[in-house]
Parts: sequence; C-alpha cells; structure tokens
Amino acid sequence: MQKSLRRTFAFIRKEMIQSLRDWRTLLMILAMPVIMMFFFAYAVNLLVDHMPTAVADMSRDDESRAFIEALEISGYFDAKMYVESEEDVIRMIDEERAKAGVVIPPDFAARVERGDAQVLIVFDGSESLAVQTGYSAASAIAQTHSVELLMSKAGQMGAALGALGGGALPIDTSIRVLYNPDMDGLVFMVPGIAAILLQLLTIGQVSMVVVRERELGTLEQLLITPVRPLELIISKVMPNIIITIADTVLIVLIGVVWFDVPFRGSIWLFAWLSLLFIVSGLGLGLLVSTVSQTQKQAQQITAVLMVLTTMLTGLFYPRLTMPPVVRAVGDLIPVTYFIRIARGIITKGVGLSFLWRDVVILVIYAIVVIVLASLTFRRRLD
Amino acid sequence: MLQRIWTVIQKEFVQTFRDRRTLLLQLSMPVIQLLLMGYGMDTNVNHIPLVVADQSRDSASQAYVNALEASGYFDVVAYVSDETEVVQTIDGGGAQAGVVIPHNFVTQVERNDAQVLVLVDGSNLLVSQSAYNMATIIAEAHATEVLMENVARTGLLDDGRSLLPLEALVRILYNPNLEAIWFVVPGVCAMILQTQSVALTAAAVVREREVGTIEQILVTPIRPLELMLGKIAPNVLIAMANLLTILVLGIWVFGVPFQGNFWLFLWLAFMYVFSGLGLGILISTISQNQKQVEQMIMMVMLLAVILSGFMFPRDKMSVFIRLAGNLFPLTYFIPIARGIISKGIGIEFLWEQLIAMCIYGIVIMLAATRAFRRGLE
Repeated sequence: MQKSLRRTFAFIRKEMIQSLRDWRTLLMILAMPVIMMFFFAYAVNLLVDHMPTAVADMSRDDESRAFIEALEISGYFDAKMYVESEEDVIRMIDEERAKAGVVIPPDFAARVERGDAQVLIVFDGSESLAVQTGYSAASAIAQTHSVELLMSKAGQMGAALGALGGGALPIDTSIRVLYNPDMDGLVFMVPGIAAILLQLLTIGQVSMVVVRERELGTLEQLLITPVRPLELIISKVMPNIIITIADTVLIVLIGVVWFDVPFRGSIWLFAWLSLLFIVSGLGLGLLVSTVSQTQKQAQQITAVLMVLTTMLTGLFYPRLTMPPVVRAVGDLIPVTYFIRIARGIITKGVGLSFLWRDVVILVIYAIVVIVLASLTFRRRLD
Repeated sequence: MLQRIWTVIQKEFVQTFRDRRTLLLQLSMPVIQLLLMGYGMDTNVNHIPLVVADQSRDSASQAYVNALEASGYFDVVAYVSDETEVVQTIDGGGAQAGVVIPHNFVTQVERNDAQVLVLVDGSNLLVSQSAYNMATIIAEAHATEVLMENVARTGLLDDGRSLLPLEALVRILYNPNLEAIWFVVPGVCAMILQTQSVALTAAAVVREREVGTIEQILVTPIRPLELMLGKIAPNVLIAMANLLTILVLGIWVFGVPFQGNFWLFLWLAFMYVFSGLGLGILISTISQNQKQVEQMIMMVMLLAVILSGFMFPRDKMSVFIRLAGNLFPLTYFIPIARGIISKGIGIEFLWEQLIAMCIYGIVIMLAATRAFRRGLE
C-alpha cells in the first residue's frame, strides 16, 4: 500500500511537471471558461419580443386599427410594415424581413358589429422559440381584445354591466416564475454553463492522455516501470483535477460577481459536488482515451460527445419531452446529473435532502467509469 | 502544381482508407447524432408535471384544473394542501409547475373576483417559457368561457360563446403542426456537418508535426496551400457522405419535407463543408499538440451552437456577439439550410449568405496556409 502510494506520488510529480511545462495549453485551459462565460451570457436572449410584423390591413377602419394597436401595445409585435395582401405578408416572411404577419380582411368594422370578424395571424415556422411565444401571445391578445369588444357591445345594449363585473374576467390568474421572476436568461444559463464547461474541460484534457502515450510510443516505457494501471490513471488525472478546480472557481466567481447571478444554496456543498462531478468527467475522458486507438478517434468521439451533451442532458432542451431511449443515452453523460445539482444549489437554493439521488448516481457513475477505464486499459495491454 | 496536389490526395486517401475503424466511426457518428437529436430536441414542451393545491374542491376549481390538463400541456402529478407545499414539490423537482386555488372559489367566480396563482419552475428555460405561455393562454381562455357562461345566465345574450365578435386564426408557415422534428433537421444537418468537417481535419497538420513526419513532407517540393488542399480532399468525400446519410434519414425516416431545390442545397453544402474543413485545418496549424486541438475544437463547437442562430435567434444578439458568430461557418449555413429545406426558397433570397460563405472559405484557407508557413520558420 505504502509502496503504491509512493509510486503514485512519483507519477503525479511527473505529470505535474509535464503539464506545467506546456504553459500555452495550460493558459488556454484557464482562459477558455472565462471567454465562454462572456459569450454565453451575452448571446443568450430568450425574450422573444418586438417581432417584426407585416400587416395587411384591408379595412383600414377604426376596428382594424384598434386590433393592430392591441398587438403593438403587448410589446410582442412591431407592426410597422404595411403591405397590401396576404401574399405580400408571406413574401415578407420568406425574405426574413418579418417574423410574423397579420391579415385583416375588408369590412372589418362591419363584421365586428355583426360578430363574425376574422383575422389571420401568420408566423415564420422555421424558428421554434419565436413561434411558440408569438403563438401564445397572439392568441391571448386576440381573445382579450375580443372580450373587450363584446363587453363594450353589451354596454351599448344597456346590459347590467355590474352583474358582469364591469367587463372584467371572472377569474384572474397571476403567474409567478419561481427562482427567476424576470425569466432572466443569465439565471437560466449560468448553472448549465458551469456544468458543460466543466465537462468540456475534463474530457478535453484527459481523452488524449492515454492514447497519446500509445501513439507516441511512450506507453511502452511506462509499462516496464512497476506502476500499475490504476496508479497510472490516478496520477494522469491528478493535475487535470487541480486545473479544473481552478476553472470551477473562476466560472462561479464570474457568474456571481460579474453577472450578479444569485447563488442561493451552500457554496461548500456545491464545491464538494463539483469535485465529484469533475472526477466522473475525468473518468469518462479516460475511458474515451483507453477505448480509442488513435488521437484522431479520440477527437471524433469527444466532438460527438460534446454535441450530444449540449442536446441531451437538459442543458437547453428539456429532458421531459424526450422518448425513453434518448433519455437513457443522456443518462450516460454525467452532465445530466450535475445540471440538476447545479440548478438545485445555485438557482433554487435547495440542499442534499432534495439532491441526494443525483449525488448517489454520480458517485456510482464515477466508480463504474474509472473501473471500466482501468479494465479496458489492462485488456488493451495484453 | 495539380500533379503535386494529386500526389498528396492519393497519399491522404490511402492513409484514410487504411484506418478502417476511424473511417467507420466517422461515417456512423452523424447517423447516431441525428437519431438522438431528432427524437430528443423538442422546444415545444408539453405534459409538464403540475402540482395542484386546490383549497376549494368545488366545481369551479375542478373546471379550472381540468382546463389546464385538457390542453395536454400540463399533467397533474400530485395534490397538496397549500402554496408552501407546492413550492416544496417544485423545489424537489417533483413538478415543474403548480397551481394554487384559494377557498370558496365558486362564490368568488360568481362575484367575478376569483384569483388563481400559477407557479412556474424558473430554473429550466424552455420549460419555464412553455409553462408560462401556455398557462397564460389557457387561463385566459378558461376565464373567457366562464364569463360567457355568466353572460348567458343573465339572459341578456343567449349563447355567450358564439357571440365573441372576433376570431383569430393562427397559421404557422412552413411547419403548420409545429412538428419539432421539422425544426430540428435543417439545423442539426448544418451542425453535424460542421462537427464532422472541423473534427476531421483538425488532427491533420498537428499530428504530422507531433509524430515528426512533417519534416519529411517539407523536404518534398510540396507548397503549403497544396498540402492543405490535398489533406482536405478525402475529408470532403467523407463529409459529403455524411450529408447524404443525414438527408436520407431526415427525409425518409423522420418524414421531413424537403421544400427547395435539392441540387442547389447540395452545392451550397459542398461549399459549407469546404469552409468547415478550412477552419479545421487552421486550428490544426496554429495548435502545437493534439491536446490543444481538442480544447479548441470543443470551444468552437460550443460557441457555434450558441452564436450561430442554431438555438437562439441572432437578431436579438448585440453587434459584437453577432460579429463573433460570423467566425463560424455554421452561422452562414443555418439560414441556407432552413431556407432551402423548410421554406423552399431559392438562391435569390440566399445569395448574401452564399457570398459570405465563399469569402469565408477563401480567407480561412489562406489564413491556414500563412499560419503554416509562419509556424515553420
């Protein structure tokens, strides 16, 4: 045991010297999260408002103007581009000059009077985020407007408006968004960015490690030393753990200090669980490295892994709607668990009592992946 | 010069085809990605788990909860007794939305001053957005319906509902049923091609340098640009094979309609692949070892996803961020892919993107060549 520790320690020293010597790579690894944070933070804007809207108002009367005004006042639509017909509206959307369009038929006022007016609202369906918000906004606005019209009509008819609450709707629903009342994109993103950057750093650093020694032929040299596979792997991973911890601190500091993202939970709990996550990410990277035969293969696998991570772990796309098979693939990536942990601690401010399940899975994951990596490594040698 | 390029191409081809496992990996990865993403990416979130605190348990409150559930956007997963417990359930991740209905709901509705509180989990962006949007619509529609019933009961206007003077029809162009997969395929197509093309070549130069064979190449009469072009050639083929598999999968397996001109798309995709390969070569040239290459590829990939308009609309980004997005070929190709596949528009709407992509491809190849030359000195 003591011998093993000594050997491991000697190797850790060798690896440390090696990574410190390659200071350009080191600098890159330390600077990357900072750059990424800023890009992410400033690029992600989910509030879909002021959609450029083309209007074909074929009535040009008081009622049609009132409807367009209702759309404008909502803040979701900028109805400034006037065109002649439905075809024009569609052409504007084809040309990307408008994201939405409104078509109001002739004789609008008369039809409203008769109670059978129709308007057509058209959306650019090639971008999903904008469509959904626009759709719900337009439906809600049209309905409200319609009720208002009816109520004013009822008023004209001399109805006892008092019985109807003066035109107010009988149920008033207020919607509160927990943890992030203004739906601020940054609050959504920071925990996710932290998780994905950590994974990117760990896998990126380690996936090359073993396969590189193999390709360069230095693996043989290592193998004639008395070092055992697990010891070798632990020492290979050590400097990367330290670098990634430094990155974690940087990421959280930038998020909290620069971007003012509230950190609601316990920072120590987060630190410990991040360490756990880093270990499992490194394990996965090692596995990629031992499975690959060449660095090119390792690169290909990590690139795909990265893409899948952004798509399947719940970082952007909710896992809720994924079919079970796809969700199961996402389960193979440690970010899936850590995103829930990061959101739980940073955004929601909850503790272990809510998160223990993900923590347990992450522990098992880390052990399994590291054992697998050293098993493949050993088999590869025979 | 052509002869020299041809020689390099031959050498690269032999090298590529000899490494069967890597080749197989390169050909199969896009398929796996498309299958997973095609089924996995859905921004239209429904069946959001909902926790209900119904303190009235009367007909009006039940109607309200029913309206939420009947929409298909919310699934009631638990009943609790008050707001605190609703928040707790959302805290623990047991639900992502909650509704609190106060006591005496039915009388309040009759008095026209009923209040309902809907709580939405604000830690997950698309879920929050969908839940918020849908709750707004459903609540509004339900309230209107109740109002109409009340109106009908006063006897002033006989059938309330049909009396609403205005009806809005909403039509969604290009994707009338809001099928998630239709949104996904053009974007994923563009993204997989970039991943493939950048990752394919990124190892090219740095590997020769690391293994030491670059010296051998340099004593031959080959010039840097010729070397670059030769190195790209087999990868162009692989990337085009990838493109075809993705398209075939998208069209036949996922049933995505291809609205535009297929040949136009193929040509533009070819140029796109070329610029992606150029970016890969540039990364390979300026890196000193494959570890650096690896870090850079991942950074490029992640930034491209965020900045290119693949996920987030570019017209909302600030000028500086938008400029940064122009560094990735994906940014130029996303409008092309969406335009041709989903919208069915032609070159007359896309020429700006096309020219930008051409310039990008040329600039990046020249930059790679220069960086290569400088790296030698």
